[in-house]
Amino acid sequence: MPDATNERGMKTPALQASHSGRRIGGWIDRNRIFLLGAVVIGVMAVMAPGFLTAQNMSSILKTTSVNIFAAVGLTIVMICGHLDLSFGSTATLGGMLVIGLQPELGWAGGTFAALIAGALVGIVNGLLVSRAKIGSFIVTLGTMIIVQGLVNMYCGGGTLNVSDFRLADFLDRDIWVLSPRVILAIAAVGAFAVMLSSTVIGRNFHLIGGNPQTAWYAGLSSERYLVGAFTACGALSAFGGAVNSMATSSANPTSGSKSLMLVIAAVIIGGTSMKGGKGSVVHSTVAVFTLTALINGLGLLGAGFEIQLVASGIVLATIILYDAVSLRRQERKRGIRPDLLAEMRAKRPGR
Amino acid sequence: MNLRKSMSVAIAVTVLFAIGCRRAEKAAKTEDAKQRGREESLAVDISGLKSEDGQPLIVADDSPLTPPQRPADPEALPLEDPLHWYDIEYAGWKCEKAKQPESPNDGCKGKKVVFLKFVDHPYHNAYFNGMKKVADAYGIQVKTMVANTDINIQAQQVDQAINERPDMVIIQPVDAKAVVPLLRKLNQAGVPVIASNLIPTDQGMPYILTWTGPDDWGQFRMLAHEFARLMNNEGGYCIVRHLEGTSPYYSRTFAMMTELKKIAPNMKMLDMQPCGLKAEAASTLVSGWISRFKGELKGIVSADDSGAQIGINDAIKAHNREDIIRVAAGNSKVGMDFVKAGTLHAITYQSAESDGALPMKLAADWFMGKPITKSVHYLRKHIITKKDVDQFMPAQW
Repeated sequence: MPDATNERGMKTPALQASHSGRRIGGWIDRNRIFLLGAVVIGVMAVMAPGFLTAQNMSSILKTTSVNIFAAVGLTIVMICGHLDLSFGSTATLGGMLVIGLQPELGWAGGTFAALIAGALVGIVNGLLVSRAKIGSFIVTLGTMIIVQGLVNMYCGGGTLNVSDFRLADFLDRDIWVLSPRVILAIAAVGAFAVMLSSTVIGRNFHLIGGNPQTAWYAGLSSERYLVGAFTACGALSAFGGAVNSMATSSANPTSGSKSLMLVIAAVIIGGTSMKGGKGSVVHSTVAVFTLTALINGLGLLGAGFEIQLVASGIVLATIILYDAVSLRRQERKRGIRPDLLAEMRAKRPGR
Repeated sequence: MNLRKSMSVAIAVTVLFAIGCRRAEKAAKTEDAKQRGREESLAVDISGLKSEDGQPLIVADDSPLTPPQRPADPEALPLEDPLHWYDIEYAGWKCEKAKQPESPNDGCKGKKVVFLKFVDHPYHNAYFNGMKKVADAYGIQVKTMVANTDINIQAQQVDQAINERPDMVIIQPVDAKAVVPLLRKLNQAGVPVIASNLIPTDQGMPYILTWTGPDDWGQFRMLAHEFARLMNNEGGYCIVRHLEGTSPYYSRTFAMMTELKKIAPNMKMLDMQPCGLKAEAASTLVSGWISRFKGELKGIVSADDSGAQIGINDAIKAHNREDIIRVAAGNSKVGMDFVKAGTLHAITYQSAESDGALPMKLAADWFMGKPITKSVHYLRKHIITKKDVDQFMPAQW
């Protein structure tokens, strides 16, 4: 009977092949968003005229930066095993406040007010989810509608703007493919990536979302972490909305809600688990970039908006299908010894 | 030594002369080509082009722009005061233009125009058909990008358009105020811009060559007269508003409201709400109004004679209130069918194809070196009623 290991305990070629196959599969799984991004950029670079120019890359990055803050916030909430649908309205609120309060409080004061307002929305969401034990979908659907209503009351349904373009010019100024608003977004991603991966607090977010029971045994206050996650999402979304408004010198009452589907899709495509415990702000950011680049490239190819939506939907559906297949494969393999599988493969006729 | 020096000088002079001659020849050739291109375009006659409804395609209102005196602070005036809306209604009528790109003055053939479209909607599709008819006549290439009502997408498309270095950008602003920085950016990049359909606020007008589109304020003032006549100058009315942030959101509400205040002071505005121009939302809204205001509600003004009007008519039918007078911004097939059926009493004539044809015609004029003197170009105004609705059939959208 052939063994998976030889008499000296060394792995047989069949077992080695099985292990390396799993390693490659695991690597692809972990880095799928980078691979997807590379494929999208590669295909568009070949097919779409002017896609790979510095100006176009700068344009893609600026558009990406609009949604990065909300994507980072949503990733944290989803790592905790919840969903926040109110980030779009909160982003609109942040944008409205910074423009509306600019004449009285200046840019800094307006931004601070936006941050506070966003954090308050997050605290309300967090308390309702953690204390009142209401599903985050329902809670944040409610706050989304309420905040949107408040925004419309504040601006009278119209757009607010300022005629001072100096800050907009600064934030939008191209430094090769970057610009200050993009650098700001990258800095936020970097800070939250470090927080989530290298600090106790960050690891606790993963634990609370991935294994609440263990978190409870470890003495972690899930309420506090949930409120923290929703507050971070609210504040980040509002800040993102504020930055976007400052970069365009205007705030539109519906702009944030338009980001809703793209950001949720990007966070899922980026590998954040809907069940919690797994996610990366870097991956979410790359996913936002990839979807933006895809839409941009299709636009350069002359595809209509409906085609762009369909393409984004296909990417999302493919990723979800891939996730479902991997999950099924993992569940099937659970409890099975890989060396036995390798042995069975080695025994197959014709090998 | 002297001979060598003299020869060197002679050779240098000859080379310089040859270069000069070549340049002059090239310039003459370029000038010839420009002249030929210009003449070729000038020979194109688009006066015979027609819209799908059989009306002439180019229907510009040639009346001069004479705005009233601007109040010191229009926003300090009450909403019912027409001058409160001065900066929106007379946007760009008098404006100091920022430095504009110079016309190439070489004709239209092969010119590339990027059209930044507001949304994919039957009206805007008919708009594009009108634009394409003129572009095809002149041999202009059009590339379209659709923002789908998202100002962030339109901002990205402006960047894309700048990268592509087109000969002209025709933009339908998604948002009257938020488009201002985008127009400024295009202007600073040296791209000539014609804005169309949705009018930017006054702040945006210096950055564009001109704006073309329906005179929403003028149309709705005309419609107000017809509405007041139908209502016998009295009774309560409600307004179904356009999409938030767009210019008709203001014009199709406050032109009506301020004009009625002036010509029919006994008419009372009961409520005004947007419904996203959606039938279900409009139906719910109007049902609420009928229940709330009961017999006091005598008329409904709608910013849209298609989706929103379907909802309005459904609600009116459900509540058995066919007595309610209805007027709307038009003129879709749905709206004109309603007018024929008597369930909508008057609509504005807004030719979608002419709306799209006019900016392209002005772009062509500019390519041919014709000066664009007016900063605002309106379409012809008209109110369609049951009496003349047949003249405008078949509908463009």
